[in-house]
Amino acid sequence: MASVQVLSIATPPVSAAYKAPSVPSTSRISAPHPSGHRTLLPVGPAYINHLRLSLHHSHSFSSLDKHLEAERERLAALHGEDNAGEDDLGVGDEEESEELLALDPKEWKKQDHYAVLGLSHLRYKATADQIKIAHRKKVLKHHPDKKAATTTNVSSSLYLAGVNQNTNDDAFFKCIQKAHEVLTNPEKRRQFDSVDPVFLELEEEMPTLAEFKSKNLDFFKTFGPVFDLYSRFSKAQPVPGLGHIDSSKDEVEGFYDFWYNFDSWRSFEWLDKEVNEGSDSRDDKRYTEKKNKSERARRKKEDTAKLRGLVDMALGLDPRIKRIKQQEKEAREAKKKAGNPAAAAKKTKQQEEEEKKKAEQAAKEKEEAEKLARAEAKKQKAAAANAAKKARRQQRAAEEGGAA
Amino acid sequence: MSKQQNGASRATSVTPAPGTPTPASGPTSSLHPVVGINFGNSYASIAVFTKEGLAESIANEDGERQIACAISFHGEELYIGNQAKQQLVKNAKNSIVGFRNLLGKKFSEIPGSEHPTLSAPIIQHPDLADTIAYKVEVLQPAPSPLPTSAITTPAASHAPTPRSEPTPTSRILTVHDVTVIFLRSLLKSAEDFLGKPITGAVISVPEAETFNDKQREALKEAAKEAGLNVLQLLDEAAAVVSLTTTSLWSSEEDQEEGGQPLNKDRTQLVVDLGSSALSLHLVSVREGLSYVLSSSFTPNVGGDKIDDKLITFFAADFTKKTKVPLKVCPAPADAVADQRAEAKLRLAIEHTKRTISASPGAATCSVESLKDGMDYTGNINRMRFDMLASPIYAAVADAITALLSRAAFDAHDVDEVVYVGGTGCLPGLDNRICLQAGFREDVQTPFARGIVVGGGVGDPTTIIARGCAYQAALLDTLTNSESQEDKEILAAFEAGSEANQVKATTKTIGVLFPNDLEENKEVGGTWIPVVQRETALPVRRIVSLDVEVEEESKRVAFEVWEVVEGIRVEKVTPPKSQDDEEEEEEEEEEEEIEVKHRTVTKHALLAAFDGKAKLAVQTKGKGPQKGKWFTRVEIQFVVGIDGDLNVELKEIGGEEGLVQRIHVAA
Repeated sequence: MASVQVLSIATPPVSAAYKAPSVPSTSRISAPHPSGHRTLLPVGPAYINHLRLSLHHSHSFSSLDKHLEAERERLAALHGEDNAGEDDLGVGDEEESEELLALDPKEWKKQDHYAVLGLSHLRYKATADQIKIAHRKKVLKHHPDKKAATTTNVSSSLYLAGVNQNTNDDAFFKCIQKAHEVLTNPEKRRQFDSVDPVFLELEEEMPTLAEFKSKNLDFFKTFGPVFDLYSRFSKAQPVPGLGHIDSSKDEVEGFYDFWYNFDSWRSFEWLDKEVNEGSDSRDDKRYTEKKNKSERARRKKEDTAKLRGLVDMALGLDPRIKRIKQQEKEAREAKKKAGNPAAAAKKTKQQEEEEKKKAEQAAKEKEEAEKLARAEAKKQKAAAANAAKKARRQQRAAEEGGAA
Repeated sequence: MSKQQNGASRATSVTPAPGTPTPASGPTSSLHPVVGINFGNSYASIAVFTKEGLAESIANEDGERQIACAISFHGEELYIGNQAKQQLVKNAKNSIVGFRNLLGKKFSEIPGSEHPTLSAPIIQHPDLADTIAYKVEVLQPAPSPLPTSAITTPAASHAPTPRSEPTPTSRILTVHDVTVIFLRSLLKSAEDFLGKPITGAVISVPEAETFNDKQREALKEAAKEAGLNVLQLLDEAAAVVSLTTTSLWSSEEDQEEGGQPLNKDRTQLVVDLGSSALSLHLVSVREGLSYVLSSSFTPNVGGDKIDDKLITFFAADFTKKTKVPLKVCPAPADAVADQRAEAKLRLAIEHTKRTISASPGAATCSVESLKDGMDYTGNINRMRFDMLASPIYAAVADAITALLSRAAFDAHDVDEVVYVGGTGCLPGLDNRICLQAGFREDVQTPFARGIVVGGGVGDPTTIIARGCAYQAALLDTLTNSESQEDKEILAAFEAGSEANQVKATTKTIGVLFPNDLEENKEVGGTWIPVVQRETALPVRRIVSLDVEVEEESKRVAFEVWEVVEGIRVEKVTPPKSQDDEEEEEEEEEEEEIEVKHRTVTKHALLAAFDGKAKLAVQTKGKGPQKGKWFTRVEIQFVVGIDGDLNVELKEIGGEEGLVQRIHVAA
């Protein structure tokens, strides 16, 4: 809507004697300057509106109003959330639940670092820049210096006036710092991502073979997300997707080939038991380390086996594999039929038998030959040993004789 | 400006290809990575959007917001900006200034007098036909030694082979090359400030009469080579309007301070006084839509002329103090010491002028070893300065008077004066112009509104750059938009588009509420102008106001008139009150003073409204308005493209208010 110029004047009333003058029907406004007499300066939003008016709305203000209204609504919908001036790379603001704020920094190993930094919608996909921005946002909000100023003293005791009694108010800040420390260190972040609590939860819900069969689930809807979930651990990116029912043979084979040779970066150092650093006992430390190592290996093995099982299961259930096998079979048969439909089958039977016989014979011959060779070798060996014995005896006799 | 290795300047300053979006400037970013460049002949300035979302003029690496358009070669080094200007003293032959106006011109086109005497002379390019070029002496870095092999190594040595001395050589640069080097340094400053690549730029250019299409094309080409994606070349008047039509210009703050709010429909006089030329534009601003009514260009009126006066003054003062003869402006061709002294003074008075603009006290000028080893320190106060600059002020005021008479405007029709350019900062200029050109008492000038000093929005040196930045942001949004409409609109921004040719009203249209108040005798009622003259068509204007009605009749009546606005000049003899003054003076003051009044003459009655208010309310409480009946009405005027007029009266405040419409055919 056009801007309304509000005048701060109030006109006095019309006198009763006033009679509206009759307007001559020929009255017109003076002819405007002809087009081309004035050249607009191409600047400013007003100029853009003028262009819209003349180019797209055929000089109709009501049409332009509608357009601008629609445009404004669209923009409001687009930039609804981020009214902040600075670009936050889509980090946004997440709600902080009571539980999150009540986290104990001592239990930092168990906390969800992404949730602490307000990145739970991004998780392992968060970039270093996003983590930096999220951390900065959280620090601005939760820094103890800010808290001290805002917390009101509950107790009105004279002695405690001005003393900050809420000594635990930087707990969440410590959690934030810990989360930042973990997520900015690539190695630590990898370890944490390996055992990401949200992932573990999702992993629990994986379908079993029995479940799949009993509930008659859709193959693609069931396994698609599962493989997507696991693809994050692949060293090689991008990971081929499960595809769809009409995927070609190459695609399907490529997919299973990739997953059977899956190269994972997942590791389980995060779940290690703490080595008691303060302990003097070297043996104790070594024992814990050893246990941790074996535990890690066990978990890794389990993980690999689990994934392997998953791929096996998928391969077994994949409707495309059945289809491909069927197609191959049909192709083979079609080939056979195309050659010599009647004789081909018989011939092959005969040939097969002959070949079998031949093979058996060959195997037998080979076995016999080997047997012979072995016996020969044995004999030779024995002879050589006897000869050596004889020679030694003779030598000894000669030496004894010499000495005597 | 940063020193760059001479030979490697091209290779090292790698600028990313324009238009490549970075992750930081995605659609979610509200900060436009654009730059507005005021590219003058003597000085340039750049403006970008800061974190606060405002376009601000930024400083380059040397902390200079006013970047001198100069580059200078010294040995292996290249100086750009104010550092290069310093080189004019000792290294004048290798310094290049004043190249903007030569861009896109042929060697044969420039008259000989335009050659600046001090800097590197303009020569004909040895290879390219009819091309302007500069020849500078530089040191070329020696080629790196050949890779050592068994054959080339003469003898084994523990000491590394010393790099050979750079060799002196001469380098030929065209105006294009110089512009590219300079623009690239501006781009780098902006990118360093923002920390991300710049995707678009709007560069200001003088109006078409002085900077023709060929020169614009040449500037675009140079900018492209410098890595700037030029969104638009904007006339300087347009760049000024781009800033003065923003809400920032007529901010709420100074209205609260008692200043009058700026009218959205106003006639603006843009006084662009740079160091080498004066250009004036009379602009009609109508709710952001504006066009130039008339403009004029006066070369050889500007800061340089004031500089000459100042230098002569200081040189005379120097001679008086030290008994050392010094002849300047112009210095004799054979006296190198005088030439150098003039160059030194020219640099030193830059500071003096800025001090004069900023503070009411005296400003000093000091130069060490001005001539014959004698130092100089002198000062000048505002009064003396204004006396020295008086001829230039007078020339500006004369140019304004000439412009107004050419456009058939009276000085009283001007609602606002805007100063642009470094010399526009001088308060003496504002005083003189307001007096001599005869503007209204209440004319709005940046000085009267107090927005010049202290980084205010009216700082004449940065207005154009900031205006360009706002325009760049606007175009950036359009460029990023996908809709077909916006693409067509973008095309219309190209200069010479037909969409810019508009029809405009010739007379003011408004409403007249008939009454017999004493002050409204002239037209017989309260006159409210709605659509001002010189408004581009089509136009829509809405005014809302309170109307008092009689309790019984509740009658609302008004007429729509087209009027002719004029100026009535009255001769008034000032009252004689000073008895104690001397006789001579009184005799002098007996002249009559001209007092101007704005007048309105009815031209044509277009429509008459008469109706009964339905939503009138009685005011309660005390005071003179007690017990009277008022209603609030909104009157909308729409003047179509062909000159047809639609007037709509609407009573506001409820659903069933009075509504009346009248259509006047074209």
